[in-house]
Amino acid sequence: MKAVFEITDRYLEAGDCSALLYAPLDEALTYRQTRRYTLDFEGDEGAAADFVSKTLLDEVGQELHQGESAALQDWLFAIDYGMKPGALDLEKEAVMSYYHNLKSAPIVLSELKIEHRVYVFGESSISPDRFVSDICNPAVHTWTVIEGEK
Amino acid sequence: MEKRPHALLLKFPGTNCDAETARALREVGFSADVLPISQVDPSKLEGVDLVVLSGGFSYGDYVMAGRLAQLVSENRLGDSLKQFRDAGGYLLGICNGFQILTRMGLLPEGSLIHNDSGRFKCNWVKLKKGSQKDSPFLRGLPDEFELPIAHAEGRFVTKDAGEAEALVASGLGVLTYAEDINGSFSQIAGIQDESGRVLGLMPHPERFMSRDHHYDPDWKNEAGGEHGTGYYMFRSIFEEISKR
Repeated sequence: MKAVFEITDRYLEAGDCSALLYAPLDEALTYRQTRRYTLDFEGDEGAAADFVSKTLLDEVGQELHQGESAALQDWLFAIDYGMKPGALDLEKEAVMSYYHNLKSAPIVLSELKIEHRVYVFGESSISPDRFVSDICNPAVHTWTVIEGEK
Repeated sequence: MEKRPHALLLKFPGTNCDAETARALREVGFSADVLPISQVDPSKLEGVDLVVLSGGFSYGDYVMAGRLAQLVSENRLGDSLKQFRDAGGYLLGICNGFQILTRMGLLPEGSLIHNDSGRFKCNWVKLKKGSQKDSPFLRGLPDEFELPIAHAEGRFVTKDAGEAEALVASGLGVLTYAEDINGSFSQIAGIQDESGRVLGLMPHPERFMSRDHHYDPDWKNEAGGEHGTGYYMFRSIFEEISKR
């Protein structure tokens, strides 16, 4: 079974997109970053959500969105990026190490995929390629660009 | 020979302030051991007066600062730290240690999230001691003093801003920044639990043990000595434990 969870920060405001890029933008675009966790697992979906809440969510400062749909709305485009399957993902290793040391795991977790999602907001015809080239490192990252519905 | 109060410092992969914190504790009179979390079990808390979680980047701050250290500690220790506190033990969390104690539920509910600037902050800050409730950790300190900070995730938040205001009003928000430096609700820099035996703070007292550590070479200790403000914090808890 596969389940997708997206975690958003409750208190972080959208920031100026120029902070993501090597050179400042002429346009007034803003961004927010979230994390998407894709779990391949056997067991109850509710137990998977509980595992994510306990392990990956800060219930005070963050909110959990479950499902493939985007957690945020009204964005221009979004970029999902994460470590290549062959690259060493220390965050994933740390989470999996914790999972393997659980005395009684609530689910059988066979794969965990961690991605950062960058939502870009505003009115512009700018190509996402500029963001991809400045945010993603082709040596270690894979990425997907998603066009917004605006 | 008189037994000195004993401090145990828990070290996680990525903890990097344990050596200087242990040195600070020894300087005020504690005996102190640093123990990697892989060697920790509930029996290691026997004979310990103060458990310290020092600063650093445990588990690389992966997921969020302090989360994996919290989970691993709970796996290894269960409720032992809560039992330790309930039996009269003291706990101190500095910076990353504050983040871990908060996530473990040993301090009032809240969270330490990314600074509102989105950047790591490393500078000296002015702090104010709360006046509503005494803290055995802060007793020997003046009402206002300076300490260095070094954090990316030091913005203290609660589920709503009113909860943070209530913490300050009740005296549990025992340390506040004199000005807004990271977006913390009610400018909270440190909190204690209801018992007063658990304190978490973002600033680093172990980095101001001597007046020579201050950025201003002309800085003078009001008490006239050679010590920095951090010394008096460790000395306060040493004296508290010694008189038991």
